[in-house]
Amino acid sequence: MIKLNNVSFAYEKNKMILRNIHLAIEAGTCTVLVGPNGGGKTTIGKLMAGILKPSVGDVMVNELDTRTAELAEIGKKIGYLFQDPQRQLFAPTVREEIAFVMELQGVPSDQIDIRVERYLDKFQLKALENSFPFQLSRGEKQRLAIAAIMVNNPVFYILDEPTTGLDYERKKVLSAVIERLREEGIGMVIISHDQAFVKRHAQRVITVSGGELLDDTSN
Amino acid sequence: MILATDLDPRAKLFFVLVISSLAVFLQNTFLLLLVFIVCLGAVAATGGSLGNMLKKFRKFFGIFIAVVLLQSIFTQQGQAILQLGDITLLTDFGLIRGMQTILRFLIIIASALVMTTSNSREIIQGLVQWKIPFEIAFMVSIAIRFLPLLREEATDMLTAIQLRGVNLKKIPLLKRIKMYSYLLLPLISSVMVKAQELSVAMEMRAFRAYPQRTSLRVLQLGRADYLVMVLCTLFFLTVMVLYLMLI
Repeated sequence: MIKLNNVSFAYEKNKMILRNIHLAIEAGTCTVLVGPNGGGKTTIGKLMAGILKPSVGDVMVNELDTRTAELAEIGKKIGYLFQDPQRQLFAPTVREEIAFVMELQGVPSDQIDIRVERYLDKFQLKALENSFPFQLSRGEKQRLAIAAIMVNNPVFYILDEPTTGLDYERKKVLSAVIERLREEGIGMVIISHDQAFVKRHAQRVITVSGGELLDDTSN
Repeated sequence: MILATDLDPRAKLFFVLVISSLAVFLQNTFLLLLVFIVCLGAVAATGGSLGNMLKKFRKFFGIFIAVVLLQSIFTQQGQAILQLGDITLLTDFGLIRGMQTILRFLIIIASALVMTTSNSREIIQGLVQWKIPFEIAFMVSIAIRFLPLLREEATDMLTAIQLRGVNLKKIPLLKRIKMYSYLLLPLISSVMVKAQELSVAMEMRAFRAYPQRTSLRVLQLGRADYLVMVLCTLFFLTVMVLYLMLI
């Protein structure tokens, strides 16, 4: 599904953040990236989603080369959750946030309503449907961002710190959603420091530190 | 060679003030061109990268073309160069006005680039030593500091929209306008939230608790700074005399 071939990356010239990364992520598996802050986990996630282009090597998403593919093309396959969910919320209400991409894609309004209702219920956002997303708590923003991604039905997810700001009950809801996605054969890469969450979901754990892959273990 | 990083921020501010005042005041294309060339020379002489500057100018290319066309369409004086039926699209006078506007843009952007070689703390200190109230100097520095952050946020939001499968180039104009209106809302909201959080953080750290402020670092004008300011004054006077002679 996603392949990183000899990838190196630098934000500034000659200051490599990642060096010679070879990595293949299979569709339908749950891979977790762990490691210390600043080790390069988020950078790997952004390279996989095509947000960043590799300085050396190439990143392939199915047959798409992220260097040349349009972000929208990759976005139809991959759902990406930013570390800061506020960066991916735009609409004036919670309901519109979930609906607006479907509106742009010309999905009939009755179908939009059904899907929006489903995700409002799933992520316990129904009571907030007319709220301004920017005034939600961190955990509510996180749930909304995840719902807004999932409503597009991508075939692969990259979730950067999905449990940040979620309480015990909401983590359980997210866990259940991830389990269901796995049962449906949908793959994902999760970047997380939450040990319990990693233990529960990871089929493969990759440790990233100092811009290198230190360990790669399959459960 | 005098490096821009070695100059006192007040010398740089003086340079920006002189050059941008000339850009706004002059109505003569050749003199504006002269100011632009001198400005480029000054940036290069103080260690600035002309390559980087050209890259920045390239981003404004579309705006420049639009400015020339708008000036030509709405300024109906002079000889018509391009006509569509009875409608004059381009006149020589409009073309000159458009070029002058572009030169003004370029001069102001190029001169302001000199300021980017100072950090915001130095700029505040320079303004304070010019007897500008600290609160105002601080506001200026916050504005300078937050602009790149805003740009980064806007870029991230555009990326996030595209990652939801929206191809910005392919959606119809009306929907695209609606989508951009979506971007404005979080940006404005984010600015308000940041301003609020910053003001609370400043109050918590006793901002303005004492009427008298002291500074660990006090700026001293050196020979090079005086030389820059004298040269700027001479240049300003020369250009103004030339301009008044040409009117």
